[in-house]
Amino acid sequence: MKSILNIQYEKFKLKNNLDVVLYQDKTLPIVAVNIWYKVGSANEKPGKTGLAHLFEHMMFQGSQHVPKEMHFRYIQEAGGTLNGSTSIDRTNYYESVPKTALEMVLWLESDRMGFLLPALTQEKLDNQKGVVANERRQNYENQPYGLAWEKLFAALYPADYPYHWPTIGWMEDIQSYTLDDVRNFFETYYSPQNASLVIGGNFELNEAKELVEKYFGEIPNNTVVPELNVEFPELDETKKIIHKDNVQLPRIYLAWISDKLYGPDDAALDILSDVLTGTKNSRIYKSLMFDKQIAQDVSSFQYSAKLNGSFIIMSTPKPGVEIHTIREEIFTQIKSVIEDGITDEELQRSVNSFKSSYIYSLQNLNNLVDQINNYNCYLNEPNSFLYDIERYEKVTKEKVVEVADKYLNKNFVELNVVPK
Amino acid sequence: MIIDRTKKPAEKGELNFSLPEIKRFSLKNGLNVIFVEKKNLPITQLLLFVNGGSKSDPVNKKGLAFLTSMLIDEGAGGLDALALDNEIELLGSILRCSANQDGFSVSMLTLSENFDRSLELFSMVVTGPHFNEGDFEREKKKQLTKIIQLQDDPEYIANTAFRKILFDKTPYQPPVIGFHETVENITVEDVRNFYANTFTVQNSTLIVVGNISQSELHKKLDLQLGGWKTGDGYKIDLPAIKKPERATYFVHKEGAAQSELRIGTISPGRKSPDFYARTIMNSILGGQFSSRINLNLREDKGFTYGAHSSFNFNRKAGSFVVSTGVESEHTEESVREIFKEFDGIKQKVLPEELEFSKSYLIKRYPSMFETYSQVAGNLSMLPLYDLPDNYFNTYIEKLRRVTLENVLDAARNTLRNENIVTVIVGDKKILNGQFSNYPEKIIKLDSAVILSPGSI
Repeated sequence: MKSILNIQYEKFKLKNNLDVVLYQDKTLPIVAVNIWYKVGSANEKPGKTGLAHLFEHMMFQGSQHVPKEMHFRYIQEAGGTLNGSTSIDRTNYYESVPKTALEMVLWLESDRMGFLLPALTQEKLDNQKGVVANERRQNYENQPYGLAWEKLFAALYPADYPYHWPTIGWMEDIQSYTLDDVRNFFETYYSPQNASLVIGGNFELNEAKELVEKYFGEIPNNTVVPELNVEFPELDETKKIIHKDNVQLPRIYLAWISDKLYGPDDAALDILSDVLTGTKNSRIYKSLMFDKQIAQDVSSFQYSAKLNGSFIIMSTPKPGVEIHTIREEIFTQIKSVIEDGITDEELQRSVNSFKSSYIYSLQNLNNLVDQINNYNCYLNEPNSFLYDIERYEKVTKEKVVEVADKYLNKNFVELNVVPK
Repeated sequence: MIIDRTKKPAEKGELNFSLPEIKRFSLKNGLNVIFVEKKNLPITQLLLFVNGGSKSDPVNKKGLAFLTSMLIDEGAGGLDALALDNEIELLGSILRCSANQDGFSVSMLTLSENFDRSLELFSMVVTGPHFNEGDFEREKKKQLTKIIQLQDDPEYIANTAFRKILFDKTPYQPPVIGFHETVENITVEDVRNFYANTFTVQNSTLIVVGNISQSELHKKLDLQLGGWKTGDGYKIDLPAIKKPERATYFVHKEGAAQSELRIGTISPGRKSPDFYARTIMNSILGGQFSSRINLNLREDKGFTYGAHSSFNFNRKAGSFVVSTGVESEHTEESVREIFKEFDGIKQKVLPEELEFSKSYLIKRYPSMFETYSQVAGNLSMLPLYDLPDNYFNTYIEKLRRVTLENVLDAARNTLRNENIVTVIVGDKKILNGQFSNYPEKIIKLDSAVILSPGSI
């Protein structure tokens, strides 16, 4: 069964250094185009946070040969779907369209890669600053517990560390962007050698190669992308912060600095998270939710990124239960994993879930092509599904205990969100 | 090579797409099965649709269907909640149970190699849930706590207020999760009876999409589900839904960072003959990114991250709503702009808008059948709305036939001025300034009233 994860692809570079991966799958008459630009909020500077995300919005505002609003309209008219997203490490743009519209999509993507600035106006920028400010209000400020993440990461990392600020940016920074900020950002980061293009689905290989060369080949490659040079961060002391919010129930968040994406401990930390809270039988979940019934929810994850990761545990106490009761139980369970180890069945349950989730993920072409691009950008090998699964298969019980001890026995940040 | 970028490249080639072939058969006890063989991956998706849902909750026990759906996989067929979950996780399968206004769904996604045991566990959940006292108390507390937490969520308050006003004095009025007072009334006996009355062969349809042959599937389903008890067909009489009276409601939310707006009214049910005209009308007005309302409020004014409209159908009723969260200081202007767009679409629709919407809806159709759960979800519309099997085959042709006049009629029939309800959830400090010249009376609602049983 694993053979279906061994995908066939072709990879080449254009003269301007644009990385291109072609993956053919003719199951449905659909083709997906996915571009990663290797820039995210980590590349921003304090005072101008959120610029990478704002920039993602500007990429939908038209380019030299594509009038405002037409980027969306052309793709929708062809029966396609499209979007983009910004993370701390990268920005992606993706569309999936009926196979007949491949050339149009490459025209649109190349136009905004090569010819965005001539179409940039103050009016468009002001409009999208308003939209992004409202995105921040809607998804963070007006959501219960919505500001917890930015409080947590701001405490976990020093003020100048690239993961200190939220991807959406601080509100006062969002208001401060100028046309020059946007231009400089484009000229620094949006060039062919900082991008990776994956085309997946129903198309002819030779035709796709010709089209990519035709539309992307002439885009000049004349910038040097600055490297991010930072040391692995350390938390000097355990911190506790209290944030008052419009909520009925308090919530506790615990955060540790952990291994980076595809780092040697990353997969074991994923499994640790699953062993602690991933299922009804997981350690903390079972204790808080079944045995003691003192929490409404509990979850955890290894949030791993390019420079390093963060390991997070969060839980909402039931009405009348104190936060410290929950915290004590969480630490009791962590200690028990470290001292007594985990069972074969706990490990197997977790590995099996990861393995089947990879097979399920092949169902959706957009997701699949985005994962291929992830592998291409982080591992320089698009066909890494098997490698990725083997990372989990190779984890031993001892390794899970080792990473629990190594990362969760260190300083951490505790955030308490409490009712106003 | 010099290329001409000024012209949009034309589409190339033919788009051939054949819809999945829908097969029907029934098990030895009469359980109806809808099956699509899909072989591109070693996966099978099971989805049981059970007619019932919160519309069947007794008035003083709203939230019963929700609690039943939470409890159904908390122990079944001799395995307690933890043992059952442990087995499912070891198989790498995914089980989900949920309730909505019209029914329940129990779904399981499994690898083909683990299909047999997954089907067995799925059948245990469907036919033999334990409903133990201890599990009941735990899940009921979870539901009650969730209801407390929902007080924090302005979108939930807006949706609940809107629904309560539109569907007043009907079974579609309360939120599926129920109210604190009504969930308190529920006993474990209620759950057992509710399950016994609704989870019957006659009342259910099993949908299977997967990498398996029909004969093999039929044999396996007969073995696992063929002995499921038959019972009386479930019946519920729904009262006629009255059109709401035009009104504007305001709910205060201390310190709200935005105002949540819900503007709309009731509409005919899913089987109304003008469904296709309404679909296109909605697409032009607010149903997709390039719609009039989103381009106006987001791309022109920058008041919102997004504004969209939709028809939401229940089995025997429907509603139309524009939903958005807007910057507090532009709340009144946003409401005004939405009404302007209502007036606009009743007066004029351009031929290019009609063509754009048809192109958008028709050409994206193949992508609606991509994943196993998408196909199963589409198929579940057949029993939910009582649609004919050729529904999917005639969909495109029926969209094509819609004329400009049909779209205008759909707009005029949907958006009658005298029946439009506006709900605003925001901070009351915005009321005095921007709403001082508002042409209608604003009815202030307390969120405690919205989140309690009864009319508003």
